[in-house]
Amino acid sequence: MNRPEYRYRSGPLVWAAVLGSTCLLLFLFQKMLWLVVPFLLALVIYYLLLPLRERLILAGLSRAGAANLVSLGAFAVLGGGLALAFPWLATQAVGWQESALRYLQGGLFFAAQALYQLEERFEVLADAHVSTEFVRQVAELIDTFAAKYLGSLAMGVAAWTPLLLLAPFIAYFMLRDGALFRHFLIRAVPNAFFERTLYLFDQVDRTARLYFQGLLALTVLDALCLAAGLWWLGVSAPLLLGGVTAVLAWIPYVGSVLGCLLVVLVAATDFPEAPQVAYGAIALFLVVRLLDDFLFMPMTIGRSLKLHPLLTVLMIFVGGAVAGVPGLMLVLPVLGVVMVLGETVGQVVTDPRLMARHLHARQLRRTAVGRDLY
Amino acid sequence: MLRFFRERGGDTPLATCRLFSGLSGRDVQVVQGFLHQRRYQAGEVIFDEGEEGQALYILLSGQVLICRQGETEAPIAQLEPGSFFGEMALLDDAPRAAQARALGPVEVAVLFRGDFLHLMDDHARIASRISLDLARQLGDRLRRMILAQGPR
Repeated sequence: MNRPEYRYRSGPLVWAAVLGSTCLLLFLFQKMLWLVVPFLLALVIYYLLLPLRERLILAGLSRAGAANLVSLGAFAVLGGGLALAFPWLATQAVGWQESALRYLQGGLFFAAQALYQLEERFEVLADAHVSTEFVRQVAELIDTFAAKYLGSLAMGVAAWTPLLLLAPFIAYFMLRDGALFRHFLIRAVPNAFFERTLYLFDQVDRTARLYFQGLLALTVLDALCLAAGLWWLGVSAPLLLGGVTAVLAWIPYVGSVLGCLLVVLVAATDFPEAPQVAYGAIALFLVVRLLDDFLFMPMTIGRSLKLHPLLTVLMIFVGGAVAGVPGLMLVLPVLGVVMVLGETVGQVVTDPRLMARHLHARQLRRTAVGRDLY
Repeated sequence: MLRFFRERGGDTPLATCRLFSGLSGRDVQVVQGFLHQRRYQAGEVIFDEGEEGQALYILLSGQVLICRQGETEAPIAQLEPGSFFGEMALLDDAPRAAQARALGPVEVAVLFRGDFLHLMDDHARIASRISLDLARQLGDRLRRMILAQGPR
C-alpha cells in the first residue's frame, strides 16, 4: 500500500491566512513595541555574534562556554568603547547643539536658495511667495519645537533606554540557551507532526538568520558606498554619515528620506557657496538607493525571503498602513516567518495521513491509560 | 526554568548505539545536545513508507518493526535497543523506503538532518566519525543483501 505521491503547494486560503496573520501580528506588535524593539535588537545582536560563537564551538568550547565568552567579549568591547568615548562625548555635548543648529540653518539656507532660483524661473511660484512662506513656517517650527516636542522626546528617551538595555541580555540567553528552548518547544508537538515541525523550526531559523545577516551585510555595503561617495565629494565625517544613513534605511522609504535629508543638510552647510555639492550628495544618495534596490537587496535580503517583488512592495505599504513606521520595519521579516509557518501548517493540516496517524496515536494512548479500567 | 529544560533532556544510553561507537563520552554528550527524545505507544507508526524523511532515529528502549507499508505480518526487520533506522534521511531527500512501527512502548532519540548538518559545521570531527559508522553500517547492509541474493 503505497501513499499517493503529491507535492504540496500553498493555495489561496493559506495565502489569505498568511497575509491576514501578518497584518494581525503587525497590529499586535505595534501595541507592544516595548517588547518587540528590544527583542528585534537582540535578534540583530544574536545573528551578529552567532558566527563567532560557532567559531569557538568549532575550536572545542562547549555551547554555553562559547556563548559566555562571546557575550563577555562583546560587552567588554561595548563597555570599553563607551567608557573611552564618554569623556569626549561629555565635552562635545555643548558643541552638538551648536552644530545641529548650524547644520539646520545651512540646510534651510540651501532650501531657500533653491526655492528663490525656482521662483526666478517660474512666475507662478514667485506669485505664491513660496520661498518666503517656507522660511516663515520653518522658523516658526524651530521656535516652537523645544516647547512642543522636547519634553516628550526627553521622556521617550528616558523610558526607552532601560528597555533597550534588555537587548544584550536577551541576545546572551539566545546564544546560550536557544537550542534548549527549541527542544523544549518541540517536545510539545505530537509524534505524527514531529518531523514536519522540526523542518518548520529549521526553516524559520534559517529564514530569520539569512534575513538579519543579510540586513547587516546590506547596511555595511550601503554605508561603505555612501561613505566613499561623500568622501569623494569632500563632505565632512563621511563614514559616520554613511553609517547613520545606512542604519536609517532599515525603515523602508521613511528612513531613506530622513537619511537623504541628513546628507543634504551636512553637504549644504559644509559648502554654502557651492550648492552643486548638495545636489551631488542627492545624486549620490539616489545612485546608492538604486544599487541597494536592484543589486545589494536581491543579493542579501531578497535571497533569504524569496518574495515576489510586487508582493514585497505591496506588503511594505500594508505594513505602513496597519502599524506605521514599526510596520514598515517589521513587515518583511514577519511575512517571511509567517509564510514558512503557513506553508508548514497547511502541509500538516491538509495531509489526511498525518491527521489519521495523530488520531490513531491518541486512540492508542487512551486505550493504554484506560486498560485496567474496564 | 533553565534547569527544567536541561533536566528534561535526561541521560540516555546513547553510548550503546552502534552509530556512536567511535565517539568518546564527551563527544556523545555533544551529540546529545542535538538529539530530540520521543516516546511511542505499541502499534504507533513512527514514519510511513513514501514519506519525506527528515531525521534518523536511534532506538533507546523497546522494539521497532520495519516493514512495507501496513504489512506488519511480513516484517523486513525487527530492531532492538541500540539500533538506528531512517538513516537515509540524513543523506538525501528520498522518500522513506519502508514503514517503522513501534512493537511495544518505545523510546527513541531523533537526529534531525538540519541538526546533523550543524553538527558537521560545528563539530566536524564528531560528525565525520558518525558518518564513517553510518557508511560502515550501510556497507554491511549492502554486503548482507548481496549474500542473501546468492551467487550468480
